[in-house]
Amino acid sequence: MKKLLSFGVVLATLAGPATAQDIVIGAILPLSGASATQGEDQRRGMELAVDKINAAGGVLGQPLKIVTEDSAGNAVTALTAAKKLVTVDNVPVVLGEFSSGITIPVADYLLQQGRTHINIGSSSIKIRDLGKGSFSVIGLDNVSGAFGAEDVFKSGAKKVAIIAPNNAYGQGIVDAFSTKFKELGGTVTSSILYTEGQTTYRPELQQLEKGKPDVYVYSAYGKESATINRESFELGLNETPWYALYLTMCTADSEPQYVEGQIGMDLNYIGTGGADYHKSYTAKFKSDFTSTYNGFAYDGVMMMAAAIDKAKSTEPAKINVALAEIGKNYQGVTGPITFDDHNQRSAQPYLKLKIAAGKPVTN
Amino acid sequence: MVQFVVDVLMRASDLVLIAVGMSAIYSLMKFPNIAVAQYAASGAFIALVLQKGGIPIVVAAIIAVLCVGIAAVALNELLFNRMLKISSSTAMIGSLAVSMLASAVFLLAIGPNPTRFSLPITRPFRVLGARMTENQLTSLSITTAAILCFALLLFRTDLGRCMRATATNRLLAEATGIDTRRTRNAVVLISGMLAALGGICLTLKGEINIQTGLDLLLPVFSAAILGGLGNPLGAAAGAIVIALAETLITGINFGPAFGRELLFMPAAYATAGSFVLLVVTLIWRPRGLFVSEVKRV
Repeated sequence: MKKLLSFGVVLATLAGPATAQDIVIGAILPLSGASATQGEDQRRGMELAVDKINAAGGVLGQPLKIVTEDSAGNAVTALTAAKKLVTVDNVPVVLGEFSSGITIPVADYLLQQGRTHINIGSSSIKIRDLGKGSFSVIGLDNVSGAFGAEDVFKSGAKKVAIIAPNNAYGQGIVDAFSTKFKELGGTVTSSILYTEGQTTYRPELQQLEKGKPDVYVYSAYGKESATINRESFELGLNETPWYALYLTMCTADSEPQYVEGQIGMDLNYIGTGGADYHKSYTAKFKSDFTSTYNGFAYDGVMMMAAAIDKAKSTEPAKINVALAEIGKNYQGVTGPITFDDHNQRSAQPYLKLKIAAGKPVTN
Repeated sequence: MVQFVVDVLMRASDLVLIAVGMSAIYSLMKFPNIAVAQYAASGAFIALVLQKGGIPIVVAAIIAVLCVGIAAVALNELLFNRMLKISSSTAMIGSLAVSMLASAVFLLAIGPNPTRFSLPITRPFRVLGARMTENQLTSLSITTAAILCFALLLFRTDLGRCMRATATNRLLAEATGIDTRRTRNAVVLISGMLAALGGICLTLKGEINIQTGLDLLLPVFSAAILGGLGNPLGAAAGAIVIALAETLITGINFGPAFGRELLFMPAAYATAGSFVLLVVTLIWRPRGLFVSEVKRV
């Protein structure tokens, strides 16, 4: 049903052609596929931002409109969507995707086409080197991996086994985590990069088990993570503690019974100025945040709108200059956002969480 | 060790019913029907949709198995029989086209996300040190029972005798008064049902997505060829060999050989195992492991 709904949303955004005056920007999100839960949540964040901007008079005095395309969690589909946004809708700015393995090729293409890219959900360290036209409102993994490693080491675990997706994100986070963990004096018995989109991860889990780790460390996209959690339960691996990097991403689609008691780290998704935003989210969608990613999508749209207003133009080159200027000191709902010399968010606070009674709570 | 045996059995039971179905169809139709892997996926998807609609899982499974069996006969009558008049390779390409079409239909009807039956969560239990879940055991039992029933049908009933006679020599069978067309349709029906049951059993243990059918094609095909295409029970043995190879590839610790504690082949290479076995069999014993080298005249 949710899939149908989001599909309907895509259709609805497509169906209403933009009038000549509308300010149109693009977004590529995983509205279906393994990360559909997070993609839909990103879309919600954007919707709230558009509502807020248009209620306050729009951008450059015109209503703002976002054309949202579904990536289906697939790089090829996402690239086709990016081409469509550039050639058909001719948008100056594209926000998205979620998975780093998809964000990187999409951003590469957008920068070639001279458009502005805003990363609102990916954390691979490789995003840093995409180029100046690519901005990140979310912290990258050199910081989060080390944060997780310290957290696990402090809990007393000396031997860990780690599993993550075989893409830019997984490689980056495994590397960042392992380097820090070994530096602290721990051992990584095995690190496995799994192939995305499988219906079983039993062989991988059994390989991890052979190392007899004190803690299993993992990071996986929603629906793949659900499979991993179910199978680790079936194989009895969950009798050993599990530590999740980006806990809410890993547990969003899993049966609560499989993930009860898991600990992990996640983005601090709500900053000091975020209380009002939280309220409008729960009022509009009649639920609490379904992931930690909506706020970043919201901040991305708000910063971009402010940049267009500041540049008094929808030319990507001018938007880039204005966005870098705004990023010197911006107060977002996910906390203060400042860009470093690569236009990446320089500081990202993280949370230590655990799953208790089916819900993530501060550990 | 026991866990290893359990894993091999689990993987074999993923493949065995579908491989037997494929081999049985080949024995009478004389062309490798690639769409059989998609019959399996269709069975699972129909059962899933019915269960979501509120029908109890057992009833849903029975309806799905029957639907797929009938669809297999219809496809055979409408498409494959006509293509076979041209050549067996035309029919094979036709079955490839059918399975591609099936993928597109799954994408539209089910969507790209993996799905599974909604069943109560049960803790795994230990059998001689190996962990199993209730669903895995159920799935394994159904698979074994289905294979036994099929073997009985093949060797203990009139229909089975007709099937074997038609498979060995169709003209001679016709001459002795066997209605070969009816026999062929019976085999296609049973094979379609076996494949659908295979798909349902596979989904019972885990989950399924629209790629599952195509992903199964290579190992199932290898199993059928290993057992000698057209020798249904050989295909069952072939499935166990393939499962053994795949489990060995991902389960062996190559660490000591390279001076490291643990070193495994990435699990994605498991299917490469079935591919290698397929190539080796085709070179070494092209008629399968269980067919005597002397061709019957």
